[in-house]
Amino acid sequence: MAGFLDRLLERFKIYREPGYYKRYDYWWAMVVDLDRCTGCGACVTACQAENNTPVVGEEESGKGRVLNWMRIERYVEGEYPDVKVKFIPVFCAHCDKAPCEVACPVYATYHNQDGLNVQVYNRCVGTFTCATYCPYDVRRFNWFTYKDKGSFESPLDEQLNPDVTVRTMGVMEKCTFCIQRIVAAKDRAKDENRKVRDGEVIPACVQSCPSKALTFGDLNDPNSQVSKLAGLPAEPYYLRESGSKLAKISKNPRAYRLLEDLNAAPTIIYLKRVMKGSSTIGHE
Amino acid sequence: MKRFLLYLTVAIITFTIGYNINLIYFSDRAPEQPINFSHKVHAADNSIPCLYCHIYADKSTISGVPSVQKCMGCHKIIKTDSPEIQKVVSYWEKKEPIPWIKVYNLPDYVYFSHKRHVKASVPCQRCHGDVAKMDRITRQTVIFGVPFLRVSPLKMGWCLDCHKNGAKEFIGGPVRNGTDCWTCHK
Amino acid sequence: MLNRRDFLRVVGIGSAGAAAGFALAELNAPNPARLIPYLIPPEDIIPGVANWYASVCRQCGAGCGIVVKVMEGRAKKIEGNPIHPISKGGLCARGQAGLQVLYNPGRIKNPLRRIGERGKGEFQEITWEEGLTILSKNLKELRDRGEGDGLYLLTSPISGHLKLLLKNFMNAYGSSKYFAYELINYENLRFANNITFGQNSLPHYDIENTNLLLSFGADFLTTWISPVNYSYAYGHMRQGRPGLRGKVIQVEPRLSLTGANADEWVAVKPGTEGLLALAIAYEIVEGGYYKGEDRGKWLAALERFTPRDVAKVTEVAEERIIGIAREFSKTKPSLAIGGENVSSYENGVSNLVAINILNYLAGNNIGISGGIIPNRDIEKSSFIPVNSLMQDASKGKIKTLILYDTNPVFTTPGAVKVEGQLKNIPLIVSLSSFMDETTLLSDLILPTHTYLEDWGDNFTEPSVGYPVATIMQPAVNPVFNTKSVGDIFIHLARNLAGVFQKEIPWTDFGAYLQASWKMVYNKHKDMKEIRETTFEEFWNNLLSKGGWWKEESQAGKKVYISVNKITPYLPKGPASFDGDDKDYPFYLTLYPHSSYMDGRGANLPWLQELPDAMTSVVWGTWIEMNPERATTMGIKEGDVIEVESPFGKIYAPVCLYAGQRPDTISIPIGQGHKFYGKYAEGRGANPLDLLPFKVDERTGAVSHNSTKVKITKTNSPGRLVKMAGWTKELGRDIVQTITPEEFQVKEG
Repeated sequence: MAGFLDRLLERFKIYREPGYYKRYDYWWAMVVDLDRCTGCGACVTACQAENNTPVVGEEESGKGRVLNWMRIERYVEGEYPDVKVKFIPVFCAHCDKAPCEVACPVYATYHNQDGLNVQVYNRCVGTFTCATYCPYDVRRFNWFTYKDKGSFESPLDEQLNPDVTVRTMGVMEKCTFCIQRIVAAKDRAKDENRKVRDGEVIPACVQSCPSKALTFGDLNDPNSQVSKLAGLPAEPYYLRESGSKLAKISKNPRAYRLLEDLNAAPTIIYLKRVMKGSSTIGHE
Repeated sequence: MKRFLLYLTVAIITFTIGYNINLIYFSDRAPEQPINFSHKVHAADNSIPCLYCHIYADKSTISGVPSVQKCMGCHKIIKTDSPEIQKVVSYWEKKEPIPWIKVYNLPDYVYFSHKRHVKASVPCQRCHGDVAKMDRITRQTVIFGVPFLRVSPLKMGWCLDCHKNGAKEFIGGPVRNGTDCWTCHK
Repeated sequence: MLNRRDFLRVVGIGSAGAAAGFALAELNAPNPARLIPYLIPPEDIIPGVANWYASVCRQCGAGCGIVVKVMEGRAKKIEGNPIHPISKGGLCARGQAGLQVLYNPGRIKNPLRRIGERGKGEFQEITWEEGLTILSKNLKELRDRGEGDGLYLLTSPISGHLKLLLKNFMNAYGSSKYFAYELINYENLRFANNITFGQNSLPHYDIENTNLLLSFGADFLTTWISPVNYSYAYGHMRQGRPGLRGKVIQVEPRLSLTGANADEWVAVKPGTEGLLALAIAYEIVEGGYYKGEDRGKWLAALERFTPRDVAKVTEVAEERIIGIAREFSKTKPSLAIGGENVSSYENGVSNLVAINILNYLAGNNIGISGGIIPNRDIEKSSFIPVNSLMQDASKGKIKTLILYDTNPVFTTPGAVKVEGQLKNIPLIVSLSSFMDETTLLSDLILPTHTYLEDWGDNFTEPSVGYPVATIMQPAVNPVFNTKSVGDIFIHLARNLAGVFQKEIPWTDFGAYLQASWKMVYNKHKDMKEIRETTFEEFWNNLLSKGGWWKEESQAGKKVYISVNKITPYLPKGPASFDGDDKDYPFYLTLYPHSSYMDGRGANLPWLQELPDAMTSVVWGTWIEMNPERATTMGIKEGDVIEVESPFGKIYAPVCLYAGQRPDTISIPIGQGHKFYGKYAEGRGANPLDLLPFKVDERTGAVSHNSTKVKITKTNSPGRLVKMAGWTKELGRDIVQTITPEEFQVKEG
């Protein structure tokens, strides 16, 4: 009996306890250089094409029900003629202490051994709790089975990516860091009996970016592009601790994490835009 | 009235049980295929290896059904007088593929990879049963000539059972990350 | 409690229930899934494993190399070709949406013949044989009557061997009337470049290596010339060179996406950009930064344009003009470019010439890395001003008009009234994949392949400092009963026989393309870059790489600009506008929408739902207005307003945008289709309806920024669907920044 309870508790920890994995196999992360990002939106469409995200139409868009897994936010500062517009792409940050994971009553979202915030469609019952808890507002809810509403009207459905599930009504979804590409890369690596190489996994958004603002890779590897750009040492597990500050360990003065004070430990690292006026350097 | 309710409840419960027993254990037993193809003749009597026909099994997620051309490759010469082979020939002459009926069907949200399992030297029989003994492909074991229960229920618990314990014989331990949802669902 | 009788009853009912359940499940069993094998397995396909085919994107004229992911014969994804020098692996949203061109439900599925009245949209499906016979019979008759010159062919600006084939066909037929038309064209820029640098082509603007980019209304990050390549260059200029970060100054009345990314925005008064450029030029010469011998001559030519005088007209402070001039001359290398916005005034060429000479005066940025690298000469474009085409139509000169990939009814100013003029043409044949406004007016519709189903090639202009040729190959089999446009002409040639057979002897377009490339190979095979020993090897490499290019810089060619030659082309004053200031108080700035361009992308649902970069509006047209000005007029965001010019009016909701001059409103081009498939039809308004028929007289390019308008608030229904709610950070430090000075210190 005790053994059974222990096992149950262990299972509970895997799904519930942030930071259950002391060390990740890979620690997938993204670096977004805001000084390169132009806000063009190529990534948004690339994501939609790769991940079978339905088009919801004008009516549903007006109700705020678009399903795009990522978005470009724009901030307009100042009055004419001293106007500054700033862009920032926002996607699921696969937070280490993800608030959504604590929220879900049915364990439909949890952290896996690769540092990814997993969404399991089959488990999801659509309570919407995770979306309410998410500080970055990146979770999207399927209000309808859009496939039946004509979002993939024939022959548009011929384009659907066979490696990604087409979601149905009542399911929460979000950015997966293109898990199908990660799985494919791991599959290749396993064939050749090696680890996944840096740059081998390229999510759709990163691939499409014309100005090369996005970089994807493994934070465990100090030689990966992401580690170098973010100026991080090998295995920066300090970032997972409560109250950790990226600025403390990063060698790159431009590196920051979005809404770091909320303590969700996101794994998307932004590089500050270089811009006249409003400096936010050293802002704690 | 009370008694009627009892009867109704009993009827509903047993109806559900009966329905599900059929669904889980007896459905798609051994569908009649457009051609009476015998794995026994091919795999046992003539000992053709599985991968000779299912050519993609070690390269792709799917194992692949042999093309009609593949069938004709041998049957241009072999057993051309058999009525079943003549059916194959007629498909070939009509330039139509043979519409086989799927016996092992996974839901769309499961991403099973034949390649990974073949490369881990899991024998095909582990999931597909001893096809070499089957005249018509079936998902049931045959006990005293009576088909009974499935070889592989294709349910997640059954997958995980092997991923957690059963895989020892192939890779010496549980499958690495074998229970992570995103290993098979995407 | 249960007695024996009841127990038996329960057992009986239970068994009966179970049996019924079992039986019902048996009856209810779904139809078994089928497992359909290949008849003959294709050698290069492993089901479940993707194949990638290199090709070229045709969503705009930039010629980005792409790779198409194909699984089991279906295109799944388009990505930038990582080794291609134009796209460098990136691809814009329009390029991504190419899949929805291929699999669009609105595609024309069979050849059609008009049966009802023109424009009613009543068509009858016919076979290809019938369709081609109708056309070749018509062409034969026309030629027999000696009216061969009455055959007009109007296409989009295409390049490569398809263009050559069409030319050969028209020559063999005896017609000189092969033209290209597009609303967003670069004719003014070519003309201006010819005047200043002596080259009638688009050069390579080396944004990648420049240190100061002075852009006059060039929205090079979204629509201008080659956005993907320029975006790559922009990223490299900003952060690709350690310790060095280029600066961008954007001069335009409406803050575009490029302006939003620039370090400085100069909100110049519409129509005066050319004068601002001349004032900067004056300051460069006057301040002694120009060291040429003819300094005096330049000063004399520019003396009317002192920063002080120009400041009043342009509403840009004198100190700012001087500051920009100095910075532009001192920073090396620096680059000035003039874009769509300035080229679309009626004096577009003059503005562009004025901007071009800045590059010459400030240290001769031509032919150097980080400046302008001239292209090698490219054959003259076949661009036709739409007015001359319409004149020919009204005079009855056009007997048969063949249209390919162009939609003049939608993309010409409303005042041209193309629709009415086309009525005079006896036979209109449209080679189009979609039922657009022009195709609807045609008598015979021969549906063409999309670029993912077709053969072709593209010789990129502008290139990237060296010539780039990209091959287009069919990634998938045709989805519908369509034909390659090349095949249509080859088939016509076969039907017409005689001289055509000699000129165009090929069986199909793919064979023609291969034969043409064989000639290219034979001509160049001695070059050391070509390592392939046989043509087959060369061709296979061409297809797998996606094209052929030779990485070598053409930098080094210096130019000399003579004052006397250039003076007549300089702007004399501000651009003129239709509509007087009193009745029509607002300048109207039209710009190609970042997703739909000139409207061709409006039928792609992905693009409709992609939030506009600046305003985040989806699924419609909007009118950008300065918030303060709107408040004084009592207009709130989302109010539908009537925009009226002397030539027409449209209705659309207002979107308040601070990056807008108070005296200007801006409307994106691209929506307002009457016919173009269900995703585009009846959505938004077409601002081109407001325009007079005004062109830059030197080139005939439409001036879509030379109108003034008035606006009135209405109560018309209409909605503005915006994706972004609040655009203020409210101290949350979402987009954090550091100043350039801090950046230099930290990096250095």
